[in-house]
Amino acid sequence: MAGPRPPKVVVHNRIRALRFAADEMTQAELAREVGVSRQTINAIEGGKYAPSLEVAFRMARVFDVPLGHVFQCEIDGEPHRL
Amino acid sequence: MSTFDVEPGNRWPGASFEEKSVWIQLASLVLALGGYFYVAGSMLGAGERALSPFAPLFVTAVVLMVVINIVGHVASAIASRPELRDERDRLIGWRAESASSWLLAIGIFAAISAMLCDFDNVWTAHVLLLALFFAELLRCVLQLLFYRRGV
Repeated sequence: MAGPRPPKVVVHNRIRALRFAADEMTQAELAREVGVSRQTINAIEGGKYAPSLEVAFRMARVFDVPLGHVFQCEIDGEPHRL
Repeated sequence: MSTFDVEPGNRWPGASFEEKSVWIQLASLVLALGGYFYVAGSMLGAGERALSPFAPLFVTAVVLMVVINIVGHVASAIASRPELRDERDRLIGWRAESASSWLLAIGIFAAISAMLCDFDNVWTAHVLLLALFFAELLRCVLQLLFYRRGV
């Protein structure tokens, strides 16, 4: 018998806005700082890939903001505070 | 300066080095092993039942595959500086591999069945090779799909 349905989690991010705020940092520059490829940054920004916690924390460190400023999530349509 | 600027000199900005590598692997598979199966198929159709006449053809296909891979990767590295494999590349590789391995398993099972049913060795070997070919083909296609559509 199937268990209860797991809540639907949607992750959003503000990477693009943060890059703009950080002296118009390019995806390639952020990728170098974080240690992933530019295509991975592009995929994260476009919501096509959810990064590991390690990469997420590295991003937050690059922008010098808390993790919740970089990533936000909705659980079953309700905003969830990280 | 655009925030989407890419590495200077990168002439294929949409794809990472790993993604280009998968395209090269796919091309080498289709050209070398596809060519092998085209010729081997006509040999089998003509009634060839010994394995040894297929050996030179197989060696040629393997050498061709290696050459295409080396030339392709060198050209890709010259066109844009290769990056290291990151966590997304690894995840895509694992997912594609686990989703395509069943094809190889079916091929191995079919080859064992062929051996038990006393089929010619030439059929057993080609069933195995065909399974490997299709499993690798599926892995490459899935990897490219995951790179484009996301994981």
